Amino acid sequence: MKVPIVLKIAVIAVLSTAFYTYVGQLVPQKEVQPPEETKMSATMTTADLVTTGKTIVEGKGSCLTCHTIGKTSGPMRFPDLAGVGSRAATRIAGMSDIQYIADTLYNPNDFIVPGFSPGMPPVNKPPIGLTDDEIRAVIAYLQSLGGTPTVTMQTAIPYAAGSAAPTTETAAAPAEGSTAAPAGAEVAAAPAAVAAAAAPAAPRAPDALLTQFQCASCHAAGKPAPALEQLSGKGEPELLAGLAAHPATPSHFEAAMSLAEARALARHLARKGGGA
Amino acid sequence: MNKRLVLGAVVALVVGLAGVSWLARTMNDRLSYRSPNRVSGEQVTPREQALRDQAEAQAQADKSKKYEEAEYRRVPVIGSRVAIWMVAQLHLLFAAFVLAVPLFALIIEFIGYKTKDPRYDALAYEFTKLLSTSFSLTATFGAALTFMLIALYPKFTNYLMSVFSPTFLPYVLLFFFEAGFLYSYYYGWHSFSKRVHLLLGVGLNLVGTAIMFIANAWLTFMMTPNGVSEAGAKISTWEAVRNYTWMPINIHRIIANVAFGGSVAAAYAAFQFLRAKTPEEKAHYDWMGYIGNFVAISAFLPLPFAGYWLASEIYAFSQTMGLTMMGGAFSWLFIIQAVLIGCLFLGANYYLWLGMGRIDGAERFRPAIKYLLGLVTVCFMIWATPHSIISTVDEVQKMGGANHPMLGFLGVMSAKNTAVNILILTTYVSFLLYRRSGRIPGVPWAPLGNLIQFVIFAVTAAIVIFFGIYGYFVEAAVRIKFSVPQVLSVLLAMIAVTTIDVFMMRGAKQTEVRWGQIPNHAQYVLIFLAVTFTWLMGLMGYVRSGLRQHWHVYGVIRDNSPDAFTPTLGFATRVVSVTVLLFFVLIGLVFWLASLAGKGAHHGAVEAAHGEPPMPAATQPPGGGALPAPSPSAEADLV
Repeated sequence: MKVPIVLKIAVIAVLSTAFYTYVGQLVPQKEVQPPEETKMSATMTTADLVTTGKTIVEGKGSCLTCHTIGKTSGPMRFPDLAGVGSRAATRIAGMSDIQYIADTLYNPNDFIVPGFSPGMPPVNKPPIGLTDDEIRAVIAYLQSLGGTPTVTMQTAIPYAAGSAAPTTETAAAPAEGSTAAPAGAEVAAAPAAVAAAAAPAAPRAPDALLTQFQCASCHAAGKPAPALEQLSGKGEPELLAGLAAHPATPSHFEAAMSLAEARALARHLARKGGGA
Repeated sequence: MNKRLVLGAVVALVVGLAGVSWLARTMNDRLSYRSPNRVSGEQVTPREQALRDQAEAQAQADKSKKYEEAEYRRVPVIGSRVAIWMVAQLHLLFAAFVLAVPLFALIIEFIGYKTKDPRYDALAYEFTKLLSTSFSLTATFGAALTFMLIALYPKFTNYLMSVFSPTFLPYVLLFFFEAGFLYSYYYGWHSFSKRVHLLLGVGLNLVGTAIMFIANAWLTFMMTPNGVSEAGAKISTWEAVRNYTWMPINIHRIIANVAFGGSVAAAYAAFQFLRAKTPEEKAHYDWMGYIGNFVAISAFLPLPFAGYWLASEIYAFSQTMGLTMMGGAFSWLFIIQAVLIGCLFLGANYYLWLGMGRIDGAERFRPAIKYLLGLVTVCFMIWATPHSIISTVDEVQKMGGANHPMLGFLGVMSAKNTAVNILILTTYVSFLLYRRSGRIPGVPWAPLGNLIQFVIFAVTAAIVIFFGIYGYFVEAAVRIKFSVPQVLSVLLAMIAVTTIDVFMMRGAKQTEVRWGQIPNHAQYVLIFLAVTFTWLMGLMGYVRSGLRQHWHVYGVIRDNSPDAFTPTLGFATRVVSVTVLLFFVLIGLVFWLASLAGKGAHHGAVEAAHGEPPMPAATQPPGGGALPAPSPSAEADLV
């Protein structure tokens, strides 16, 4: 019996698609549901926040898409979170663990852990879009990873709605219940020197800050302070600490510098010194 | 059986049913209670009154009903998402075909115009015949998609309109112009002068590309929104158009459309080859299939490079989205993609090797085929190796971890990038051997040219393998950048070797190419390739759209419908398969209609052209040999 050509072609088409469909059934099958709204209430305890925070980190927060917890070897996309509760207070001089973690969640690209690349989105904005209370829970959970959780529903969280973005002045005062940064030789000095007045709303560019504060008048060859160019290549945390411990009197500055501005300036100096 | 008896039984049944119905209605009326005090004219039973009251209450409720804008509407059984997914995919497949075919039809027509060879003109016309029905189907599915969006996702569609309404009028106008260009290009084939006709083809391609660019702006905005505030309010339509993935998708789609269109046109040629009755028809459709496949594979080779660009833009827009694609919910999809692309490479190489059988002098390359096959297979296997596999506890213990001690090394990007680049290089070598079959270079520097080509291949392979191995010893941020030198070296090697080959083969002696004398199963390979290309488009369309997960517009408009979840890959592949099969049923209709149109005077011209003596070597078809009249006796041996 002669098989019609159309039938042969149909068999080829059906068998090919059936094969590819079969391959599609062999791979892991996972249905990803949209994140559910987290139930938060004012009566939640710290322990409740830790539990809820864990759920958010594993679900709505999408944190584990990039971060790992407890991975010790092999390539890592973003820093492993094990022990972050104890590390957080030591990352940046003058910042408590709560302030540091809050900063990494709201402004994740302000400070990049050495060896990693920027790329984390602010978690309070879409597509992740955590609420301030949910972020409070995440901070409590992250504190619990190697540290002692202290966050309550009443803890003031920097950047949260109703809270002013922390200046270096506010950063110097640890939030309620948080672990203060250890006092080191460079970092012990209060950063109030660079924060005499309220920070302006719009962040100024590093170049504008250098000009505004006339940094080059002291930081130049033949002057008592090291030239700006010599600062190039130093680490961001070191420069930030140096900025916080700046010996100049507050009156030297025409306006205060926000933490974000100070960080941007430290990054700029680390990369380019005083150059544009 | 007596027909009258059957008819009588049916009539009796109908009459019986009508009688029973009348009796029931009458009895119901009589059994209803009627008040003895009512006026005889008001023969309203309490039941009738209750029904009237109910209807009146409903009418009153309807009048006072407030207008509420629906956010979603549902399609029964399959749901709104699957319905719109399938319609959008069918629209896209036909649109891709309608955009791609004019591109290479115009090039082929231009070659015919420059070489004065009527066969190229006939071939271009044959390709164009497929367009008119496909264009109608594209428009039909486009309209269906629009209406379904408005009906099923009214709120989201309204939002898209608020951002993109300034693009609608240009789109409609361009569509109008495309219809004008397309039909005048097809129907005016023998009416206009060649130059005017070529200009019509240029216009058709420009307008078609512009239409695609506009539509791409809408869909890429959904992935990587731009030009709107955080709350979604429009700031600038142009910025919304010019979002992160707009241009990468534009370029990727142009190339992919050509690959897909070439493969479907080759499938049409294969279909006609199998139906062909005369050696002339077989020669013509064999050649057409070869050209279609040549177009498809030529476009397919640079496609991964466009894919890299698109992926890097996705990462630049959102690392989260990028990681969802490559390391999250969709990572296993790329194993399926690897299987598909592996099948494409195997099929394309196999077709080329079969094609060597119709060229005298190709025997000297036969021994190389087994090595090429080995390389293609090994690269395919490496590419399809998953990094981690689903294992039992025992298996994990035996492996000493989640990754296999050996295969785990092959499942990472360093190995996969190396494999795919070697795969591309190997396929290019196959193509080069096919091109060389039956040709003896006449230039005195041919040995040097061969040596240079060999060195280029060796150096390129060394670069690709070096970066592949080095990638294991550096951080991810450094490793990811290694794909650039790997890709560039392969691309440059292909350009350099082709350039040398073109000059080396000028004035080469050409042995006979017996078009039409290729085994029938080579035609089924072409059909398999077309199905695979189509399936691949469906799969990659799914991942592009699925990356938004539970967002209509990523990070701006959330999907609150019951279909907001991301389905399993198994489910997605089933939807893709059904859509692909539907497409092939419809494209079969297009092929059939096109074959009806081929029985006219032009068909005679084609057959007459194939009876001519071989064309000179300088006017050979791209990448192939000359097109002589086939030898029926040799054909009988092969088929």
